[in-house]
Amino acid sequence: MDKKTIFSTSNDTIFKLKILAEEKESVRRKLVVTANMLSLKAKQLAATAKEKENVRRKLLITAEKLKKSRETLEKKVLERTKSLEMARAKEEAILLSIGDGLIATDKIGKIILMNKTAEKLLERKSTDVVGKVFYKTISLEDERGVVIPLEKDPVSIALHTNTTVATNTTDPIYYTRKNKTKIPLAIMVTPVILNKKVIGTIKVFRDITNERQIDKAKTEFVSLASHQLRTPLSTVNWYAEMLLAGDVGELNPKQQKYLEEVYHSNQRMVELVNALLDVSRLELGTFTMEPKPTDITELTQNVIDEQRPQINTKVINFSFSSEKIPLINADPKLLRMVVQNILSNAVKYTPKKGKIRMSISLKDKKNVLLKVTDTGYGIPKNQHSKIFLKLFRADNVRDKDTDGTGLGLYIVKSIVENSGGKIWFESPKENRGTKFFVSFPVNGMIKKLS
Amino acid sequence: MKKKSIKKKTILVIEDERPLLEAVNAKLEKNGFGVINARSVDQVFDAMLETNGLGVIAARSIKQALDYLEDLEKIDAIWLDHNLLGKENGIDFVKKFKANGGRWNNIPIFVVSNTEGSDTIKSYVNLGVSKYYVKSNHRLDEIINDINLSLDHPKEKTR
Repeated sequence: MDKKTIFSTSNDTIFKLKILAEEKESVRRKLVVTANMLSLKAKQLAATAKEKENVRRKLLITAEKLKKSRETLEKKVLERTKSLEMARAKEEAILLSIGDGLIATDKIGKIILMNKTAEKLLERKSTDVVGKVFYKTISLEDERGVVIPLEKDPVSIALHTNTTVATNTTDPIYYTRKNKTKIPLAIMVTPVILNKKVIGTIKVFRDITNERQIDKAKTEFVSLASHQLRTPLSTVNWYAEMLLAGDVGELNPKQQKYLEEVYHSNQRMVELVNALLDVSRLELGTFTMEPKPTDITELTQNVIDEQRPQINTKVINFSFSSEKIPLINADPKLLRMVVQNILSNAVKYTPKKGKIRMSISLKDKKNVLLKVTDTGYGIPKNQHSKIFLKLFRADNVRDKDTDGTGLGLYIVKSIVENSGGKIWFESPKENRGTKFFVSFPVNGMIKKLS
Repeated sequence: MKKKSIKKKTILVIEDERPLLEAVNAKLEKNGFGVINARSVDQVFDAMLETNGLGVIAARSIKQALDYLEDLEKIDAIWLDHNLLGKENGIDFVKKFKANGGRWNNIPIFVVSNTEGSDTIKSYVNLGVSKYYVKSNHRLDEIINDINLSLDHPKEKTR
């Protein structure tokens, strides 16, 4: 036997082993590669994991930040909401505490907002009326219970004329409540203008029941005062008249004279009381103005006729001329007071055989001018500024033999100015006469909703 | 129908102030003619009644006035003050008076008062009184003259 055969394997086997070994090596190499790859992958994974961890950490931080941001944002939103709420609450508080009812409409009169006071006054919920046309939803009446027509509705007028419209306390508009009581309202409607166009209106109104009651009380007070003051004056008047007429026996000349002084003095008292009552009515605001189309020329002629006796007694050269004047919208009672006072002043303060010129003319078709010129005592320059003051009588007439209450011009000025007119005078030198001017707007005493 | 002058005309005067009432009575009587029988409750009135004058019936309150109207045959005109004794005033009187209707509606009412409230005056005008005078602004004989004219020419209204 040989060594080869004992210890050696066949060549085939060696070959196979070699191949196997090579295969193993190959596999081993592959495994190594794989292992390397795996190791790499593992590293990669680890890296990825690390990255992920990083990202996760970053995300966490971001999440934290976002959370904080959100909290801040929420806080801000809350604050903003609060301040908006505050603003709204303030607005509402303002609207509420206006104490007046407030209704806002759009440009065709549809209600867009109504405040609580309005809800209470009108007994309607704003949710019921918003979106509805004001005129159709809320019915207003005049004093006699006649529904106010659309043309006279304040909102409607404001929308059409682009002006603020207001009612007055003497001619209020009424609203009937559920319990059938009618409450008088003072209404003011203002158009809201944007870019020169009317886009809606704001209407503010309030219940003036109290004010009307106060007015009524004031009027009654003046009325009562007038009655109490005038009664004894009437008694003296009439008894003096009867005595002077000889009803209870003939008087001797001296008795006649003395009695005439009594009568005359009493007449002055009557005039003073009348003037004081006019003044208190003016000041208490209870003077009612009832304008109607008035012929100022006719009225003036009337007043002149009344003054004729005095004009003739003083032998005054009197003339009156008037242009053709259209009817002016004026309260005839008050207009008469004005004309009468100016004329009687001219007659009173012009000495015998003096001259008085009275004229009425139309100025620029808009105004009527009444002018009275006399050749009388005039008004001293240093007293010009006081002439219209209550109870003021200029020095130069106080020592002449004239009567006067000192109230006439005060009353006349009030009436004229309240009617939208003007009064002024010229008297450059004492004893050289005076010129009085009164101008009235043709269109009317007062522009008020009637 | 108003007959001329032979029959005395009767005025019912309703005024709460005694001195004024007496003054009006006196003047009316001085301006009248003929004799009239009148019932009177008021003593002062008794003392003033004369044979030659307008018969004057004086009343100080509405109740008195209406009582007289019930009894009397003929009243030609009424002189009425606004403020009267009792709770009711001249306006209440006119309302009650007009409510009786008939012949009474033609009797002219002259309101002579010292109140000047425009509401008051308006009420009287609306109730159909003939005229409203503010007492202290008119002479007594002026008012009586107006009444006379109005009775003689009932269709013409004095303004």
